[in-house]
Amino acid sequence: MTAMKIEQAWNNALAGVALWARTNSPWVLHFNTGSCNGCDIELLAALTPRYDAERLGVKLQASPRQADILICTGPVTRQARDRLLRIYEQMPEPRFVIALGSCALSCGVFHDCYNVVGPLDRFIPVDVYVPGCPPRPEAIIYGVIELLKKLHPVDVILEGGSA
Amino acid sequence: MNALGTLLLFPGGLALLLVALLAEWISRKLLARLQNRVGPRWFQPLADTVKLLAKEEVIPEGVHRVLFEFLPVLSLAAVLTAALAVPLFGVVPATSYAGDLIVTVYLLSLLTLCTSLAGLITDDRYAAMGGLRVLSQLFSYEAPFLLALLGPAVAAESWQITRITAHAGSNVWMLFTQPVGFVVAVIGLMGKLELSPFDAPEAHTEIVAGSLTEYSGRGLALFRLSRNVALVVGLTLVAALYLGGVSDPLAFAVKTLALLLVITTVQALFARLRIDQTIGLWWHYGVLLALGQWFLILIGKGAA
Ligand code: SF4
Repeated sequence: MTAMKIEQAWNNALAGVALWARTNSPWVLHFNTGSCNGCDIELLAALTPRYDAERLGVKLQASPRQADILICTGPVTRQARDRLLRIYEQMPEPRFVIALGSCALSCGVFHDCYNVVGPLDRFIPVDVYVPGCPPRPEAIIYGVIELLKKLHPVDVILEGGSA
Repeated sequence: MNALGTLLLFPGGLALLLVALLAEWISRKLLARLQNRVGPRWFQPLADTVKLLAKEEVIPEGVHRVLFEFLPVLSLAAVLTAALAVPLFGVVPATSYAGDLIVTVYLLSLLTLCTSLAGLITDDRYAAMGGLRVLSQLFSYEAPFLLALLGPAVAAESWQITRITAHAGSNVWMLFTQPVGFVVAVIGLMGKLELSPFDAPEAHTEIVAGSLTEYSGRGLALFRLSRNVALVVGLTLVAALYLGGVSDPLAFAVKTLALLLVITTVQALFARLRIDQTIGLWWHYGVLLALGQWFLILIGKGAA
């Protein structure tokens, strides 16, 4: 009985540590599923020294294997669909997805285009939607923080370091 | 018991790992400040490592499974072993024998070999490209780096790190008697750790993540850890040989930090070199400079 309790406490502690690490080290991967490049520029701006996402632990990774969050911009085009699914499946669990910009949300201005097959959430599960055409860097960082808050029952993410 | 403590807690094992994470933070923070950013929080490397350890590890199709899982462990083991012979934190190293300088340098190279092999065993062409670049870079900086570290050894007439540091402690700083060797050693260390401007092997804008492209979770965490440990070991080695021995632990820590500052500044100053430029740089200038320095030392020794 006590052995079980101890084991459970140990597992809880482990899960807590893993959650702490996960919410403090979100590495992102950027994939353009057919965006007009507006959203991409804003996303890159969010990673530049002015906004400095590294203070939240955000790091841009180049390999899907090393990323936690997939940030997709633009509507999903016929060409990008298979690649999108493949990249999503290459990411190790736990993985999260952010849809960035009106196009990723609803196809935006590209709605009903002959080469557009649909918004992002028709193909992969999306955790956070960031609207805007294009969204400002502040909005993007806010979206990432909302995602991290979703993981965490209590709001402790920004307390760790006001730096 | 005491030996076990040395191995697992201080100065080997746990303390070394924590200091390695701290060194990564210092370097990243400094880099951020030099780029006018705020930079990561102090626990960032720890959070990164723990997160990677808690993540799923994907074993891609077509790799040699045993090798894929074994290489990160081997590289961490190699750098931790290399740490045994260097005067970490200025305390007396755990082991010391004739020729341990060579063994240490080659154990550090084992990390590079493991990284390269990690890329070459996968089916991924980016990883293979990264693996090849790691190897070609290894062949370019290894000789000058070794020659630069042998300068103090020749001056002290010993291949044993403790003897060389004792010699360095009782004479003028070798930074002043062998300035060229010092420069080559520092730049060689940067090449060894694949820091910018020698980061062509993992150029994110060209070949995804280089030889570690296929690594996720635990394997990546171990590789990152071993690179950080190698950073600490390398800094300790260069500081002990060139910056006047290890007599005072506090002064030694300051010297090591200063060396880290220099390395980070160089990192911030220069853009990435192409792989052929790296090789050209080392074989045209690095080797010649290190060899010239060596001859001067030998002539000086002969005259004295
Ligand atoms: S949301 Fe606007 S900026 Fe973004 S991809 Fe669509 S049209 Fe371009």
